[in-house]
Amino acid sequence: MPALQAHDVYKRFREGREEVPVLNGISLDLERGEIVALEGPSGSGKTTLLSILGCILTPTAGRVVVDGHAVDARANGKLPAIRRTSLGFVFQQYNLFPALTALENVEYSLNVRGWGGRESRREAERVLAEVGLNDRRDFLPRDLSGGQKQRIAIARALAGNAPILLADEPTANLDSTTGGQVLDLFQSLARRENRALLVVTHDPKVRTIADRVLQIRDGRLAA
Amino acid sequence: MVDLARKNLLHDRLRFVITVSGVAFAVMLVFVQVGLFLGLLHNASITIEKLGADLWVTSHQVPNVDFSKVYPEVSLQRVRSIPGVERADNLIVAFMSTALPSGAQETMVVYALEDFGYWRMPWHVVSGDPSDLRRGRSFFLDESAVGRFGPFQVGDYREVLGTRLKIIGVTREARSFTTTPIAFMDYDLAQSLDPESLRGRTAYTLVKLAPGADVEAVRAEIRRRLPHNDVHTAAEWAGMSRRYWVESTGLGLNMVLTIFLGCLVGVVVVAQTLYTATMEHLKEFGTVKAIGGSNAMIYRILGQQATIAAVVGFALGGLLTLAIRPALASVDLKLIIPSSLAAFVFAGTIVMCLAASIVSFRKVAGIDPALVFRT
Repeated sequence: MPALQAHDVYKRFREGREEVPVLNGISLDLERGEIVALEGPSGSGKTTLLSILGCILTPTAGRVVVDGHAVDARANGKLPAIRRTSLGFVFQQYNLFPALTALENVEYSLNVRGWGGRESRREAERVLAEVGLNDRRDFLPRDLSGGQKQRIAIARALAGNAPILLADEPTANLDSTTGGQVLDLFQSLARRENRALLVVTHDPKVRTIADRVLQIRDGRLAA
Repeated sequence: MVDLARKNLLHDRLRFVITVSGVAFAVMLVFVQVGLFLGLLHNASITIEKLGADLWVTSHQVPNVDFSKVYPEVSLQRVRSIPGVERADNLIVAFMSTALPSGAQETMVVYALEDFGYWRMPWHVVSGDPSDLRRGRSFFLDESAVGRFGPFQVGDYREVLGTRLKIIGVTREARSFTTTPIAFMDYDLAQSLDPESLRGRTAYTLVKLAPGADVEAVRAEIRRRLPHNDVHTAAEWAGMSRRYWVESTGLGLNMVLTIFLGCLVGVVVVAQTLYTATMEHLKEFGTVKAIGGSNAMIYRILGQQATIAAVVGFALGGLLTLAIRPALASVDLKLIIPSSLAAFVFAGTIVMCLAASIVSFRKVAGIDPALVFRT
């Protein structure tokens, strides 16, 4: 069974008296260990699709199954629990907590997921070592480079063994070399830990690590 | 567990200092205002508490110990003959004007007894022997009179109601609610100074009960024998004297308003800084939600921050209050902060800060976790 399934997903937003269609019948599957790149121009519906697959929004119509959990318009109350157990996020702006050190940033996300005590500390140390930042564990985000921040964000997404990782433009704020390093790291960790990885991107380099590339235009996946 | 609430709060030190300062200011305002008020109220009943009488016989409807009304002193004999009364004495409390060396007139409250030793008055003697008050035209004066009467010392003379009297002793802590200094003199002398009002009259009768005597039974018998007088226990009379000032002067309402304003300042400062901090951390809270955190989790963060601000602000406000205590004492203002007041203000500070954080709760409840995808 795929880690992530979307079948005939529609999403419309209300703007004033009008309903604006953003997604128009999207279907896709994502297997564990698979890396999929999702490309598309601005306004094509990438972020909305990512929000629905990430259980942040519910679809107006259609069916989404995340790690065995069905997500539909009536499932709003269940979404935070699904996000905690099944999903890891990497954001374009890193979204690290400025007051927390690298290690604490990772550990806090584990605390939110219900991990505590020494267990969460050990897991945070493990994933921080995986992304090669053990020597920066006590640094605040302001003292780290963009690439290091994004590696912490990746460590945060990996922590807790969520089967599905969703990344929103993870290289957009990085220079070409650093972006390449981050993608290589992402690829190797996702494969080694058998996670499903969906990367929403404008960056053509993402194609080099992806098993499949999906194009979205006007709320539809192009062939 | 990572303490995001504390770390976020302390990360922006300037904001934290502003928040805590607001709380500390409110706490200090309440402590100083209520403490001064309690200090003044303490003066309103200090002589009642220090005298140690079990029952006070007063004229009918006397509002407080300073505003006495006289009645025939022979009533004393009827009180003394009641079973259960160990000792009863008359006490005169009267305002008397005194001429200062400058020629100006000032007022003092005179407490006049026959036996100061038995009633242990005055309770805090700086110099002199109260038993000497029986020996002539003399009196004790409280040192707080320096502020109004100018410097004086034992051996000086002052003209009281036109009669020259010698100061033979100095007391401490004897002052009335109105801050009028208290003087102590012999009962007969006081009557002779104002014969028109006081000859054959007294202001109060102090009653000390015999061991094991029933207070209510003795009180009932005094009431029966002196139907035109009132009889109070010392606690009741002290309470009445304090209540008079609270209720009749508007000081109580003034106090409530001050406390309200103090709390309002605290709430506004804390609400504003917490709300601004929340607005600046919206994306972080959005991230907490995106990674699976609930509104309750974020409410806990805000609640914890409010509680930290309350505890630190309370401690700082308390320390500032203690720091200004000597300065207030130097201008004869007594600050009384009982532990019950401290506990009440502490609880109030926590409630105030949590109430202030409710504004932020509402903002957090509406955070869209999709915020994390916006640049």
